[in-house]
Amino acid sequence: MDQHDSTFGVQLFIYDLSRGMARQLSPIMLGKQLDGIWHTSVVVYGEEFFYGGAGISSCPPGGTMLGPPDTVVELGNTEVTEEIFMDYLSSLGETTCSGDKYRLFEHNCNTFTNEVAQFLTGNKIPSYITDLPSEVLSTPFGQVLRPILDSIHIAPPGGNVISSQNNHG
Amino acid sequence: MAENSGTDPAVETNIEENAAASATIIKVTVKTPKDKEEIAIAEDSSVAQFKEEISKRFKAKQDQLVLIFAGKILKDGDTLGQHGIKDGLTVHLVIKTAQKSSSGSSQTSASSGPGPSQGNTAETADPSPASNLGTPEGSGPSPTPTQPPNILAGFGDLSGLGNLGMGSANFMELQQQMQRQLMSNPEMLSQIMENPLVQSMMSNPDLMRQMIVFLYSNFNILFLLVKTMELARNPAMMQEMMRNQDRALSNLESIPGGYNALRRMYTDIQEPMFSAAREQFGNNPFSALGGNTDNSGVQPSRTENREPLPNPWGPPDSAATTTTSGTASTTSSTTSSTTPSVSNPLGISSSSLGNGMFNSPGMQSLMQQISENPQLMQNMLSAPYMRTMMQSLSQNPDIASQGPAPAPTPAAGTNTAQQQLMQQMLQMFAGGNASTPTPEVRFQQQLEQLSAMGFINGEANLQALIATGGDINAAIERLLGSQPS
Repeated sequence: MDQHDSTFGVQLFIYDLSRGMARQLSPIMLGKQLDGIWHTSVVVYGEEFFYGGAGISSCPPGGTMLGPPDTVVELGNTEVTEEIFMDYLSSLGETTCSGDKYRLFEHNCNTFTNEVAQFLTGNKIPSYITDLPSEVLSTPFGQVLRPILDSIHIAPPGGNVISSQNNHG
Repeated sequence: MAENSGTDPAVETNIEENAAASATIIKVTVKTPKDKEEIAIAEDSSVAQFKEEISKRFKAKQDQLVLIFAGKILKDGDTLGQHGIKDGLTVHLVIKTAQKSSSGSSQTSASSGPGPSQGNTAETADPSPASNLGTPEGSGPSPTPTQPPNILAGFGDLSGLGNLGMGSANFMELQQQMQRQLMSNPEMLSQIMENPLVQSMMSNPDLMRQMIVFLYSNFNILFLLVKTMELARNPAMMQEMMRNQDRALSNLESIPGGYNALRRMYTDIQEPMFSAAREQFGNNPFSALGGNTDNSGVQPSRTENREPLPNPWGPPDSAATTTTSGTASTTSSTTSSTTPSVSNPLGISSSSLGNGMFNSPGMQSLMQQISENPQLMQNMLSAPYMRTMMQSLSQNPDIASQGPAPAPTPAAGTNTAQQQLMQQMLQMFAGGNASTPTPEVRFQQQLEQLSAMGFINGEANLQALIATGGDINAAIERLLGSQPS
């Protein structure tokens, strides 16, 4: 029995990339109400981790150009240490979450966040975030825009890309 | 008997494990960043036993394995049941690399502990470099991939913000600015339209028709109203912008052929507006307008006009004689008309607007404000930026037929939709609804007749029909009389 089960709090930072415009314009443009274009990141060990066109990046919490998050969700606690986590991230970054594997609809920042959240805490992120791509794609407008949107890589600046040489431990 | 396959003395053999497995076998998915495997294990196994299976399957040493479930690190001494690991659930696995032993000691407090869990800690990580993740790979995630097309990259020039946050620069600020600017800076809209991505999007006619029409029918009115409000609030700013645009617009005159195009466009619009407005205005403040097809009666000098713009705040052209206009508007109506200019095609002076048209109380206070800056109203009505916006939209001929109007261009044939736009706008202001059927539909029969007669220029036909309100004979006269330049 361990004397101290030090656990680390894990948070989810949710940003609305559209800055409120999606809430206003989505009924007109898509025909359904979308409250935002969500970008998420995981905050743990005092750092924020997110996945974008540049790969997995990290920065001080709220330190990207997006500024402070719109919503913060407590995901729970984890026993995973930072070192193990960095191993995990390096591994992810080399395989499924490298920069070139970024896909706006199928494999984006929220995909990454969801996986990391499950890894750290066993909890998933709120479903309205992960449902967003399918919501958009189910509108005719989204279908038409898809080829264009597919080529977009969202990479909020302000983070450092994590590679296996880059230890934040 | 126990075999020591590594440094962990707590390893048990398969035989023993099977013998002890009186409980059900469950299938647990073990997931690494790279892949995942399904491992069958006895439900009451210990974590150590589980790890042994894993180490075989994943070809890693047991002490490199870190198992995580529900945020907890599974220690060798625990059992699967203790952590609630059941059939079908997923356990996360991290295979530790060997090189972080120096920093590992301070970090492994969570997993370190006396007793059998020593295999978990990094201190005992063997120095063998043959781990899956060992080799430092700088080539993993490339830091900056080749710049993907940024859908908003075109905005870079607009407010000096460079590439959007979709790549760099100040994302949030741009977003906020975008919202503000979308409402207050018309150039932005035109830049949006010029963006090649947007244009390629626009080139899908079916969708764009739907979207644009919908957007247009909802948005233009809103847009206009918002503009109006903003005008009323901050006339100085708007006016300055208007002046710049008007200046730019009037510079079109210096383009070869541009003057004629402008004039023609102006003429074509002038007349339907005139006739539509005439009913509203009762007495005829546009007498100077009626026969005047020349903007200025002077050929432009073919050079840029560098004269200062007329002083919008100067004394109004018209002598201000107050005649009651039948409404409670406090504008002073005059009998002399304001000289028509590029930005003021109707020569509307604020005073004359008090008549008829704006009877509703809601409009009066608005008009009161606007009338104090007479230039604003005309500018708003002429709305060159609206034309600019519509120009891009009307690239698609399908859409052009529906309503959005192009900006003045030297090319012929684009005036039809613009006229219709002006008509709609005027009707809107006059309290009518803007959802008239398109001229093409209304005049379909006439169009057929005209083309049967040999007037093959469909667009010119339509123009003429609109100008004459569907009167075929008058339209024919127009067609015969107009000189395309």
